[in-house]
Amino acid sequence: MKHKSWVAILAAGPALLFGDQKATCPVVPIVNPSPQAIYHQLSVATESVAPTRHRAVEPAKSSFPPAVNFIDTEVFGKMRTDGVMPTTIAGDEEFLRRVTLDLTGQIPDAATVQAFVADATTDKRARKIDQLLASDAFVDRWTMWFGDLVQNVQASNNIREYYVGRNAYYNYIHDSIKNAKPYDQMVREIISGKGDSFTNGPSDFWVRQIQTNGPVQDTYDNLAAQSGEKFLAMPMLCISCHNGLGHLDLVNTYLKSKTRYDFWGEAAFFARTRAQRQPYTDPNNPNANLFKYDVQDSIPNGAYQLNTTSGNKTPRTAVNGQSTVSPAFLLTGEAPRPGEPYRDALGRVMTGNIQFSRAAVNYLWKEMFGLGLVEPTNNMDINQLNTQPTHPNLLTLLANEFVADKYDLRAILRTMANSTTYQLSTKYTPGSWSESWTPYFARHLAHRLTAEEMLDAITTATSVPVTFNVNGIGTVNAAMKLPDTLEADRNTYGRFLDEFGRGDRDTTPRSNDTSIAQSLSLMNDGQVVITRIHRNTANSTVAKVLASTTDPGSIADQLYLATLSRRPTASERQQAIGFLTGGNLAQRTEDLQWVLLNSLEFLFD
Amino acid sequence: MKRPKLPKSTIECPDCNKASGFPLGDAKGFSRRRFLQVGATGIIASYFLDVVNPRVLYGRTIAANVALRSTATNAIFIFLSGAPSNIDTWDLKEGAWTPSDFNPTSYNGGNLRFPQGLMPNTAQHLDKLSFVRSGLAWAAVHQLGQTWAQIARNPTGATGAIAPHIGSVVSLEEQVARKTSDVLPGFIALNSAGIPSSGYFPATYAPFQVIPASTGLPTISHPDGPTRFTDRWNFLHQLDANRTSGALGKVTSDMNNFYDQSKTLMDAPNINALFSFSSTEHSQYGSSTFGDSLIIARNLVSARKGTRFVQATFGNWDHHSGIYDKPGNGVNSLYTQSAQFDPAFGALLTDLKNMPGSVAGKTLLDETLVVVVAEFGRTVGALNNQQGRDHNLRMSTVWAGGGIRGGLVIGKTDATGNDVVDYGWSQNRDIRPEDVTCTIYSALGIDYTTVRHDDPLNRGFEYVPFAKDGTYKPIDELF
Repeated sequence: MKHKSWVAILAAGPALLFGDQKATCPVVPIVNPSPQAIYHQLSVATESVAPTRHRAVEPAKSSFPPAVNFIDTEVFGKMRTDGVMPTTIAGDEEFLRRVTLDLTGQIPDAATVQAFVADATTDKRARKIDQLLASDAFVDRWTMWFGDLVQNVQASNNIREYYVGRNAYYNYIHDSIKNAKPYDQMVREIISGKGDSFTNGPSDFWVRQIQTNGPVQDTYDNLAAQSGEKFLAMPMLCISCHNGLGHLDLVNTYLKSKTRYDFWGEAAFFARTRAQRQPYTDPNNPNANLFKYDVQDSIPNGAYQLNTTSGNKTPRTAVNGQSTVSPAFLLTGEAPRPGEPYRDALGRVMTGNIQFSRAAVNYLWKEMFGLGLVEPTNNMDINQLNTQPTHPNLLTLLANEFVADKYDLRAILRTMANSTTYQLSTKYTPGSWSESWTPYFARHLAHRLTAEEMLDAITTATSVPVTFNVNGIGTVNAAMKLPDTLEADRNTYGRFLDEFGRGDRDTTPRSNDTSIAQSLSLMNDGQVVITRIHRNTANSTVAKVLASTTDPGSIADQLYLATLSRRPTASERQQAIGFLTGGNLAQRTEDLQWVLLNSLEFLFD
Repeated sequence: MKRPKLPKSTIECPDCNKASGFPLGDAKGFSRRRFLQVGATGIIASYFLDVVNPRVLYGRTIAANVALRSTATNAIFIFLSGAPSNIDTWDLKEGAWTPSDFNPTSYNGGNLRFPQGLMPNTAQHLDKLSFVRSGLAWAAVHQLGQTWAQIARNPTGATGAIAPHIGSVVSLEEQVARKTSDVLPGFIALNSAGIPSSGYFPATYAPFQVIPASTGLPTISHPDGPTRFTDRWNFLHQLDANRTSGALGKVTSDMNNFYDQSKTLMDAPNINALFSFSSTEHSQYGSSTFGDSLIIARNLVSARKGTRFVQATFGNWDHHSGIYDKPGNGVNSLYTQSAQFDPAFGALLTDLKNMPGSVAGKTLLDETLVVVVAEFGRTVGALNNQQGRDHNLRMSTVWAGGGIRGGLVIGKTDATGNDVVDYGWSQNRDIRPEDVTCTIYSALGIDYTTVRHDDPLNRGFEYVPFAKDGTYKPIDELF
């Protein structure tokens, strides 16, 4: 089906939907169906499709690109088994743009592209990867990632960290990644976070989960559910109200076997800690009433009490006469050692469990490849490790590798980026593509640039920088340097970033969906896009190009390099020259950059 | 601050077992995004065919014998964030604290006392308005309560993090009925930055955010003019071969579709006029940005171009201190807030009443449900020591149009306004945000008992948690 606009499809009605389907599916068209009937019909239709219908002819094994590490062995092995052919390895320019975006959140500028292309050494890709891993931009991009993971934000539904706490947490994450602190150590530190939430970032992990409209057990539950979902990719929140049996049978067979009592054991690791609320006078705004927290393991004999009837959870009542629950790690039952602070114990056993590594490498894989080995990435079923991942053995190998790397983010990302699988082209050259090959990673999966990547890419391509004033931090010059996803003026850049789905690190998750608001802004946003392509905007790429040459071929080359981080093909160059010379050269130069900024290739990675 | 007491039945933990979800293994290889796209939009027959191991990704179940009102075509959802004092407005309690210039006056045959002096314009429409006074919020925390009221569930519950805004549900439900001329997004939100979005639904159903400006939308026309735009658009489509080849995959084709829709919107005549307003209109609606938002809301529903749910958010009602302060330098009080709310709300009702509906003999108000809500109410009785009122769970909601009978009062509070002496409706209990949502869905003909089976948690997504079990109900007495 040729993809028509949504509205057009619906306007044409079910006839179009079903008319198209009829060709391949045993669907009986229905007259004037109700919406429910349409949905039912679609469901029935999809059930009947044979999954192997689009498979390619068994390819010659020799035509596979070389496997450079275990990732390729696994990914190519599965493709061989199932008769799926990978595409070819990406060219230098495609590789450079992708790896720069994935590792640093930025597009490479023209000079970098040219230097990389001109480099004739055979190990230049590996060296480029190392160079990007060592860059400051890497730190910003993965600070954003970790900030998303732990949902560091100034204000959420439950609680305010305030900008001061948010900054403390941000600075902690940023410094940790800059200094290559191992991922497991970071997680242990925030699980045990102590002290003033406005000066000591890790304590904001606790603050972020405070539930103000319920008993303290609600807060313990939040902390257990959050750490379980984020660090173990297990939706433990489900068993905070009820047992798994009868509820999670179809969701997570492992958690199905767990009870609410088991969950309380997980939550009990938080029961010896209190967060003391303290008023704070903001030196920048003495009239504002801010509150910070002092988080301390201050209750030596604290326990998880089963004595609540109010709040956000079903009542907690004594089980078999027992009115308190002792800490026990949900996966293994491990308990604190004698004298060991409870939260330290949880950090120790959680980060010592291989599921901790599995969850992390799956997140990281998705960041690099656009699709997790397990989807959704926050719901792993450890009873189904042989069937739930698209590549079970690869997940195991990656998890073991991350442990062997001592949880060094750069090391595992280096392994991924150096694989041939990662370096496959987005374009599928062996024949016509089937979407069913996407989970094979038979080509690189194009995904829309994130909100921050998009804005930064536009500023890089146009050479017109953006600046944000962040409370308590000062001026920053890239969206990827923002400490949370609520920053920036909602009338301009904030609106743009919201439209591109940065989410709120609370109830609105980050999203790479596309929408009409996005295309309208990319075409017409005066402040974000249009001003930046104008020749009379000081130091804009267009201004610099026009100052340097009147040769249309050179203009095309320079704009392609600056915007798409590649040289034009011969055909594109010819078309661009025709366009540039077909009107006022200066205007058409602006127009050409607009066209390149709006080309799909620019918007996707 | 009061702590809400939540009875067991309200805790959002839908019974996963009853939802006919599918084993997680069947969803393997799907990105969440693709999963949603396939499921939620119902569009993509062709896409299904290409997917590994396709199973039913979309399905819905509904409760039996649900009667829907289906009296409204559109909804205008006015959210007064910060929470106005209900006993000074919609459930007036006169006491020593009441300023005399509130001028409490009897209406509707003596059944209603209303602060005519505070809201003179609204007072002229009391025959069209109905007040629900037995409302009770769940949480006296602003953002929690606000989100709760906009996603019809506990934001900290199991589906809180994936729940779409009720406007996104309306937008998705109305998608199948869209016509070629429906060029506008289904859900438009005015002055509503930071509200919940489309949750796990595709961004198509996200609120299309608009900050009112007399000149209209900032991105609906091309700043460099239509001639330059045509040049650019044409060359873009000549040069960018990926647009037609689809060589970069499905997601890029989707994006290209949105470009086409954007162009349709830009080319459609008089679209930006809907988002613009004259200085005369601006002053008619009280010369405020809230008033501007209601002008646009009126335009959007009267245009009938695909927008079915309009939210207008108006904040700064959090009067912990100086709630009765007279307007003056920098004062924010009930006076200053009402001076913005009242003329705008009155003008909206006047205009909707005077504009024709799509059916002969009906007015636009008849087919447009107007609801005024907040996250909670405020403390009752005498003012606190800061001359203000603090957070309180008892609250009122205001209803008009869309099949609602006017002049009703549902629920009766005691002399203080804090407790209910008569709930005033079939369920004989407090009216919760979930009930408000059921009422909106019912008026719009959307089955509020729907459970979708396309959610990423694979647990079944209830439009209103527990509504399928009869826990929450529409306020049928309003119709």
